[in-house]
Amino acid sequence: MESFFVRYRNLLLLLALLVAQIIGLAMQVHRTDSGRNSLDPRDSSGVRLIRLWAEAVVTPPEELFHASKLGVTGLWQNYLDLRHTREQNQDLQKTLDRLRLEQASLLEDARQGQRLQALMDFQQKYIYKTLAAQAIGSSGSDQSRAFYIDKGANYGLQPDMAVITSDGIVGKVREVFPHSAQVLAINDQTSGAGVILETTRIRGILRGNAAGRPQIEGILADQRIQPGEKVFTAGGDQIFPRGLPVGVVEKVVRDPERDGFIDVLVKPAAHLDQLDEVLVITSIQSRFSPEEQQDMATSEALKGAEVEAIKEQQKASEIMAEKLPGLTDPNAPAANPAAAAAPGQAAQPGQSPAAAAQPPTPKLLPARRPDRFTPGASAPVVSPEAKPKTRPITPATPGTGKPPVPRPVSKSESKPGQPERSPEP
Amino acid sequence: MTVLGADYRRELGVSRYPMLVYVLAPLTALVLQAWLPRLLHGYAWFDLPLVVTVYFALARRDAIQGTLMGSGMGLFEDALTTHAIGVNGVAKTVAGFLAGSVGVRIDVEDHTVRLILTFLLSLLSSAIYVFIFRILLGLGLEWSWLVELVKAGVNTLIALVLFHLLDRLKIRD
Repeated sequence: MESFFVRYRNLLLLLALLVAQIIGLAMQVHRTDSGRNSLDPRDSSGVRLIRLWAEAVVTPPEELFHASKLGVTGLWQNYLDLRHTREQNQDLQKTLDRLRLEQASLLEDARQGQRLQALMDFQQKYIYKTLAAQAIGSSGSDQSRAFYIDKGANYGLQPDMAVITSDGIVGKVREVFPHSAQVLAINDQTSGAGVILETTRIRGILRGNAAGRPQIEGILADQRIQPGEKVFTAGGDQIFPRGLPVGVVEKVVRDPERDGFIDVLVKPAAHLDQLDEVLVITSIQSRFSPEEQQDMATSEALKGAEVEAIKEQQKASEIMAEKLPGLTDPNAPAANPAAAAAPGQAAQPGQSPAAAAQPPTPKLLPARRPDRFTPGASAPVVSPEAKPKTRPITPATPGTGKPPVPRPVSKSESKPGQPERSPEP
Repeated sequence: MTVLGADYRRELGVSRYPMLVYVLAPLTALVLQAWLPRLLHGYAWFDLPLVVTVYFALARRDAIQGTLMGSGMGLFEDALTTHAIGVNGVAKTVAGFLAGSVGVRIDVEDHTVRLILTFLLSLLSSAIYVFIFRILLGLGLEWSWLVELVKAGVNTLIALVLFHLLDRLKIRD
């Protein structure tokens, strides 16, 4: 008997290890209601312990590698970045001012939305606090779309916190370790996020497919869904706040397992393969954060200052207009169209009402000093008996379709607003 | 008689290394396997822990050591993923066992033989991985033989360099 164990010890050890691991695998997989096999979203204590050990071993060297890489690349990139910093800073400042103004105008809508939501007993959650973190490592497998960040329980991270970038959502915190955390990306098969299509307002659940591409599953076939449509978070999953960009619709394919359903492949807005820095949403509340409120106050102040500046400009232009007599029309149109007509253009009995309703031509005031440019001013060079010359046919006014009318003109042209004299034969 | 002959050959060709190499080489392989994919943006078609497992199993000419090392490396890799723990563990356990068993019977000093063995064991490991994932566990997995062939080829290229480096760390009698 002893010789059996000694002789086949290699095989026996192999079998023992294989059986133990296969039993362990069987304990981690369960069958869902839909008949599919699925991994447990939450690890058991034993599995979690193994993951904790592995993370404790791998994270310190990974952080070291990551810091070395940052140090080397930072030296060169800092130099390159500084070359155009001043111009970029000015551009950014302009953009910031513009965005603040836009934000101020959108603020009213947001407040109105809040009031309506309060009326409807629905509380919108806003990103209240975020924590910046560095991506330091991956899962090491191209079948598992997860990565590690350098912040963990020591920074207050908890499972199921949303992870985003400025471009869009990235994933959620899956496991939290003392000094790091594992983030499950949205293109992993075990992930899930509630999303909504921008135009069609169709809701669905986004998760990764076997190829690692995020897709919205189980949507009833709808011809309105077209590539290019934007996808946002729906806010119903208690993880991602509503309205964060997710990506754009890339392709619509038929669900291979269910007739009448489609899968919508989504091109993620965030660069999931090139993540360096991410933001973990550590708190979402039904009010704006102090930073956001401060930004809004600044925007309001800026907007108020701009409105004041516009008013000042208008006031100055009005004063200027009063002082410029040539621009003032003493025969300003009155409320009555008939009265508003200039004396020479008074509505004739036989004239059509449309013609009578035409605005009068403003009558210019006589110039204080005679000059040869002012219409109606005496022109001593030309004698009053000079015959008027007929202008060539002027082109029709664009858009009116009216035929051109020959118009007499003389050096001393009739005053605007007065009836024109017919040309002499 | 066969056993004695095998033992005799093993006694002749078993390599020994400083303890630090036994610790640092697998650890470095595991850390790089987790860190490099971030730099390569998802095109990390290699398996450093497998290459290290095959190397030590062949060099030590011991199926038990190969089995234990493969099992440990595989489980460690699984622990870093979101998958069930044991998929890589089973694949690398088998690969380590075969490398250690074959190492008793072949000339492990020959670079060509070691590289061919690395290529074949990479393919076998991928096949076991896919089998467990899709058949045993019934989970979705997209894969192609072309990618697995490329991965085995890249592993062989890495082995070409790594085996040479690790050979230099052997303890010379």
